[in-house]
Amino acid sequence: MANTLWQLKRGESAVLDAFTEDFSPVYRDRMMELGFHPGARVSCVVAPRMGAPKLFQVDNAVYSLEKAVAALITVQGAGE
Amino acid sequence: MKQVIVVGSPNSGKSLLFNRLTGLNHKVANFPGVTVDIGSGQLRHHTDVSLVDYPGVYSLNPISGEERIAVDAFREALQDPGLSAVLCVVDATRLEKGLMFTLQVMEACRRAGKPVVLAANMLDVLQRHKLKLDVQGLAAEMGVDIVAVSARRGDGLDQLADLLVSDLPVAAAVDNKIIAQDNNPYREQAELLTRRFGMQGDLLIRAQSRADRFFLHTLTGGVSFFLIMFVVFQSIFAWAAPLMGGVEALLAWSAALVLPLLGESMVHDFVKDALFGGVGAFLVFVPQIFILTLVVGLLEDTGYLARAAVICHRPLRLFGLTGKSFVPMLSGMACAIPGIYAARTIDSPRKRWLTYLAIPLMPCSARLPVYALLIAAFIPAQTALGGLVGLQGLAMFGVYLFGIVVGLLVTAMVSRTGAADQADPPFVLEMPPYRLPALIPLLRSAWSRSKHFVTKAGPVIFWVSVVVWILGYFPNHGTDLGSSWLGWLGQFIEPVFTPLGLDWKYGVAILASFLAREVFVGTLGTLLGIENAADNVLSLSDRVQESGLSIASGFALLAFFAIAVQCVSTLAILRRESGSWRLPVQMFISYGLLAYAVAWLFFTVISA
Repeated sequence: MANTLWQLKRGESAVLDAFTEDFSPVYRDRMMELGFHPGARVSCVVAPRMGAPKLFQVDNAVYSLEKAVAALITVQGAGE
Repeated sequence: MKQVIVVGSPNSGKSLLFNRLTGLNHKVANFPGVTVDIGSGQLRHHTDVSLVDYPGVYSLNPISGEERIAVDAFREALQDPGLSAVLCVVDATRLEKGLMFTLQVMEACRRAGKPVVLAANMLDVLQRHKLKLDVQGLAAEMGVDIVAVSARRGDGLDQLADLLVSDLPVAAAVDNKIIAQDNNPYREQAELLTRRFGMQGDLLIRAQSRADRFFLHTLTGGVSFFLIMFVVFQSIFAWAAPLMGGVEALLAWSAALVLPLLGESMVHDFVKDALFGGVGAFLVFVPQIFILTLVVGLLEDTGYLARAAVICHRPLRLFGLTGKSFVPMLSGMACAIPGIYAARTIDSPRKRWLTYLAIPLMPCSARLPVYALLIAAFIPAQTALGGLVGLQGLAMFGVYLFGIVVGLLVTAMVSRTGAADQADPPFVLEMPPYRLPALIPLLRSAWSRSKHFVTKAGPVIFWVSVVVWILGYFPNHGTDLGSSWLGWLGQFIEPVFTPLGLDWKYGVAILASFLAREVFVGTLGTLLGIENAADNVLSLSDRVQESGLSIASGFALLAFFAIAVQCVSTLAILRRESGSWRLPVQMFISYGLLAYAVAWLFFTVISA
């Protein structure tokens, strides 16, 4: 079961839970403006191998997030 | 004159709409202190209304220096009594994000007492997929005039223009009855409005994701990336060749027509050597600059470049850069100046600075004439793999790769010398939808870029050619270049270039090229023209071959031009962007020394 956004596999979605304390408050606000707010449903649409950034869909937009970002966002209820 | 500001999120199609509304009368203005690209132009058929295009931002709450400059400029402009309206552009296929920004803009405009008009762009995409946007319902709910437009097809533009010149009411108050828990009063409102009036379903996103799974797959993504880049470099030669041949034939035809009329005179020699030999040699390469700009524009327009940035992120991190460095570096292949401007999108100051170091090493279009000349002189125009791969295109790919590799090695070394940013901004990049490129605006933009190149570099090349011709022609009236004033000067500096196997003529051309790289071709054209007494205007590559330049020296020249920063404009822009002369001066000296050392190494190894 995925605990962070980074752990989501391709095709899985989850509800965004929170940003960890390590996440800079400035960038957290921007992420929320982009749609990554607690309660938002986020899906992983592309998950390349070798640690390349993954693609996540939130609302009607897709963003590429690297591990250093996605691993600092916790999620709940991950599933297909 | 009335003024209308055009604002919107990145990827909303704002700039294309601006160009459509103004007919591409784009000019660039500077703001005091730090530059911000702001285009302005007159509204078509309404010469009393000027449109001002602001940089795209996600929010009026800036997080980077560049966003802050753009937002501050916008807020300041709202206080201008001459401002008649704000045109906010949103992508109707991604309404929610656009509306969140629009609600912020409406609130700022209401406070400033200014009207807002909303342009819901991408109508063509909605119609193609039989998706609907309830424009009237949304307009009534938000209390704002909304026009559905397609900047690509031109739908709705007349209606929008008529609205912009009419007397508009001040922006309505944003309905704050729904307040979100995360201190963003606009998000839930945007969500609600999108759910009620926006397109339903995620058909477009699903189609986009299917393509992304191919273009970003570990294997197919990597292979397609290299194939696309390879085709780009092949096209510079393959597509440009007929156009270049045409320019060359036109010049030869003009020379054959004009020169006999001038008889045996000094004017004849001047026209032949300085005009046809110098300026003409440079004009031959303009089609390549046109094709390069067109191909980079095509890639930008399709939405692929954002994917390429994702693919490159991990590898670029090894060199201290970020995936966001990719687009500035690729833009730098057309010209370093837009590349340096594009680096503003990199939110980490250190990574932006490292990207500045890499951009002048990218093989820009001014290097292209030099590379093309030397490759045409030394690499046969043959094909391999059943005509699929041209050897000259392959050589061009190799030279381009060399510049890129040197750029990456420099950033890798420099990035390891300082401490990393304490709070390095995260890599978050929006994936724009895949779109068919709008060919006409692209062709216009490539044409305008080529024209700009000719009008900017042309006069410099003309005057350098004149000076070089005068110095090379006198005092013996072109009978012996070696004993001319230039010959005397050239032989004085020749020892500097002897270790590279270059004679004084190449030394003079290199010195002249420190004004701008492309001057090399014109200067060499003039010099070898004076030397060649015959009346026929040979192609410069033929004359280079005849001059006895060795392959080792040819490679040394290629290496030198790949590394040295011979561009006054690039240094000036770097000074403006970095805020001091320190970076450009250090770069000019260190890259110059590195260029000389690598060129010497190439010459020595190949000669051996």
